[in-house]
Amino acid sequence: MKCVNCGAEIALTDKVCAYCGSRNLKTADLQADMEKQENRTKKAQRKLVVSISRNMPLVINMIILIALVVGVSVVFYIKDNAYHFQSDAKQNESIQKSEEYRAEIRQYLDDGDYMGFLAFMDYHNIAEYREPYEDLGLVAHMADYYGDLLSDVESFRVHGEDAGWYSPENDVFNCRMSINDFYHEFGYKASEIDADLYRDYIYDMREKADIILKIYLGMDDAKREEFLADSINGQEAYLEELIDD
Amino acid sequence: MIKKIVFIASLAVNAILAVVLVVGIVGAAEKLKFSYVEKDTIRPDSINMYLDMENYGTVAALSHPVRGGAEIKEEYAECFAMGEYADLLFQRRIFEADGDADTLKKCDERLAAIRADYPGQSSVFDKMDSSIERAVVE
Repeated sequence: MKCVNCGAEIALTDKVCAYCGSRNLKTADLQADMEKQENRTKKAQRKLVVSISRNMPLVINMIILIALVVGVSVVFYIKDNAYHFQSDAKQNESIQKSEEYRAEIRQYLDDGDYMGFLAFMDYHNIAEYREPYEDLGLVAHMADYYGDLLSDVESFRVHGEDAGWYSPENDVFNCRMSINDFYHEFGYKASEIDADLYRDYIYDMREKADIILKIYLGMDDAKREEFLADSINGQEAYLEELIDD
Repeated sequence: MIKKIVFIASLAVNAILAVVLVVGIVGAAEKLKFSYVEKDTIRPDSINMYLDMENYGTVAALSHPVRGGAEIKEEYAECFAMGEYADLLFQRRIFEADGDADTLKKCDERLAAIRADYPGQSSVFDKMDSSIERAVVE
């Protein structure tokens, strides 16, 4: 804008002309308004600072509360999923140490210690369905069935003289089921077993299962075939007779 | 006044949450370093119960996972060793019949080692020996 007195170029907010010193009357009202607004703003700012400083402890407390709620949630999430975290860590470790673990697995298999093999696989959370252990899939699968058969015959037959037998019916049922499951699975997977890298071990499991049935359940080859072809009642009756012995 | 009440209430809630957080951290740390054998697969209480009931086959079956090299607490070592003894005794017959001479030798060595480690349990080991004899069907 131009000064009304000397015509020099001055700013809208200038109170006096910098060239002639006369008052800038054109924007005097506007400047008064601006001053008022500036004062109001300053007042409001002061009020806000006072208000914030007064509420600061509460605000800090609320921030701590939110942080604690988040912390508690995270900790309980970790606690609830601890097993999975550990399990994943073990599985990763089994992949990293696959060479070392494979040597131990081979030793268990060579020893014919399939329960040790299963326990080792379980303890190290070795996933036989994925690299680098996927070749062990079938032998681990059959070892599971063999393990069930061995455990159930063991539980069914081995008792002290003064044993308090917990549940003979349950033992008979489990024993019958695991025998049928193992031999059924062996027959069902026969062609896969024959093509498997570890077929000799799986056949050895079968031999050992035959021996278990012979030694601890009195079944020679003929009796075993007869048992497997028998009805549920017939099988249970055979096993129940062993309890009476 | 309301602000004061809210402030005091939030202080109390914070104190409670802090305690819960500390307890949670301790619990989570405990869970993260849990023993596989003790919590996941084998229950020592069950093994001891079946040992008392002389159900040695069940003791053996429950102890299978320790044979994979799992670490166990010192206080439970004895009951797991008893289960391992019963299990190896049961399997010894199988290895013998199958002609696994090396495995049979390892088995006998381990059986002898367990007996030597727990001389106070010799009467239970003797009972296990005879229970295997009786389990065999002639």
